[in-house]
Amino acid sequence: MLVAKPDCALLILGHGSTENPDSSQPSWDHADTIEKSGQFGSVHCAFWKEEPSFRQIWPMIEEREIYIVPNFISEGYFTRQVLPRELEIDGHTTVRDGRTIHYCDPVGIHSAMTGLLIKRAKEIIDDSVKLEDTTLIIVGHGTNLNKKSTEAITDQVEAIKASGEPFAQVLDAYMEEPPFIADWQTLTDSPNVVVVPFFIADALHSYQDIPVLLGIETEPTAAASQRDVFRQNPHRFGDRTLYYSSAIGTDPSLADVIVDQVSYFDEHYRS
Amino acid sequence: MTLAGELESHLPAGTSLVFGQLYLTRSDDGTFEACHLDDMGKKDTLSPIDSVIDLRELAKFDAGGEYRPLKTAPSLKGGWITRSSESPEFLKRLDAIYPAVFATWVAYANEEHHPTSLRRTLDRQTGMYRFAGTISDQLANRMMRELCHPGCIRKIAWPIDDMHPVSRLKAQPRAIPVICTEACTFAINAARALAKEAFEKANPPAATGATE
Repeated sequence: MLVAKPDCALLILGHGSTENPDSSQPSWDHADTIEKSGQFGSVHCAFWKEEPSFRQIWPMIEEREIYIVPNFISEGYFTRQVLPRELEIDGHTTVRDGRTIHYCDPVGIHSAMTGLLIKRAKEIIDDSVKLEDTTLIIVGHGTNLNKKSTEAITDQVEAIKASGEPFAQVLDAYMEEPPFIADWQTLTDSPNVVVVPFFIADALHSYQDIPVLLGIETEPTAAASQRDVFRQNPHRFGDRTLYYSSAIGTDPSLADVIVDQVSYFDEHYRS
Repeated sequence: MTLAGELESHLPAGTSLVFGQLYLTRSDDGTFEACHLDDMGKKDTLSPIDSVIDLRELAKFDAGGEYRPLKTAPSLKGGWITRSSESPEFLKRLDAIYPAVFATWVAYANEEHHPTSLRRTLDRQTGMYRFAGTISDQLANRMMRELCHPGCIRKIAWPIDDMHPVSRLKAQPRAIPVICTEACTFAINAARALAKEAFEKANPPAATGATE
């Protein structure tokens, strides 16, 4: 969906990383795409762990009306606590210092994510592979500290099951809580397994940690951008075949999802 | 005035400025130019970079290929030059190298953006960073001495606490100050580590009743 907001700024928020150079890249890529489209007066990014930080960004933004879209997967600790606190905003719309600031939903809970996950799974498996012989695993971080963190994943798993796509099974799995992604071989019994990371970037967790848990790598590799070749599918484990995709947040369609969250805000939260 | 307008007034045609590790010039015809300070005497040998995206990528790694999460670390690599005749575009290119740094100086100088004391920054932290708030003033000074001053070119504009304000920073002639108005993620992380170390030193396992 296109919007026309030449008097408004769009601010995309990301986690960023002090260790992995690829963590912020999808946010910048989507910001560049949206900026070129000319839908907003200006488009900015700010990060928790990189620059510009959430605390540094305000002087850069000259528009008086600002839409903020968290490029985060789930609603939880970051989107409900850290981001509002650091940006000094409260509720859906904050008016302060002559600015009107709209806080949109994070990209990960947008309804389009279900279709993107299915698309991503289908495009990395070989044409000859039948979905009926393939289990789709959506993998997330998971943490015992916040139940909301897994809700985004389980919601997607239910939506994919309800979509009628004929996967043998659709499962959720996590790095740090059960069902563990490291147990993928016992969690599934189909000949083919496709794993799609429900992460924003091909960074520390999805590119370096999860491949070790899956058994694709024996130890964490260098960052994706620092390697000559992105990992090749498929991976053979005896008579099982594993496909591992890049993080869902790297899909170029996420730029549309970000803009859609602005439209959704106007339709549902704007008074 | 817009930020692009501020940049034009800071850098009139025919003048030059130092901005962190950057040397900025504006030719008589109004074209803006930036290169590494170390490269100011050899502009003819430099590789032109003409896009914000390419400059952002350049600023991401140092000369040895190491990731630079802190853009104001004193490790900006040289060998390049960027030129633009438009001040909004030139400002975007500067922001690709030093995100928000020019805007922060302008807002600070106009008293529209006020530094946040270290105590206020640390006291609002939650989760794993909550413990950072227990750091002593002495260790906070050590953090600035050992982390901030060698590791970052920003000048600190924030006080440790609001009871002891620091002098306002002023621009040197022909320079745009690179200032820090609030402790960054690296400082918060270092404060946490120092506070934990001090706590563990003061409360060894035997003193807390732990048994083997």
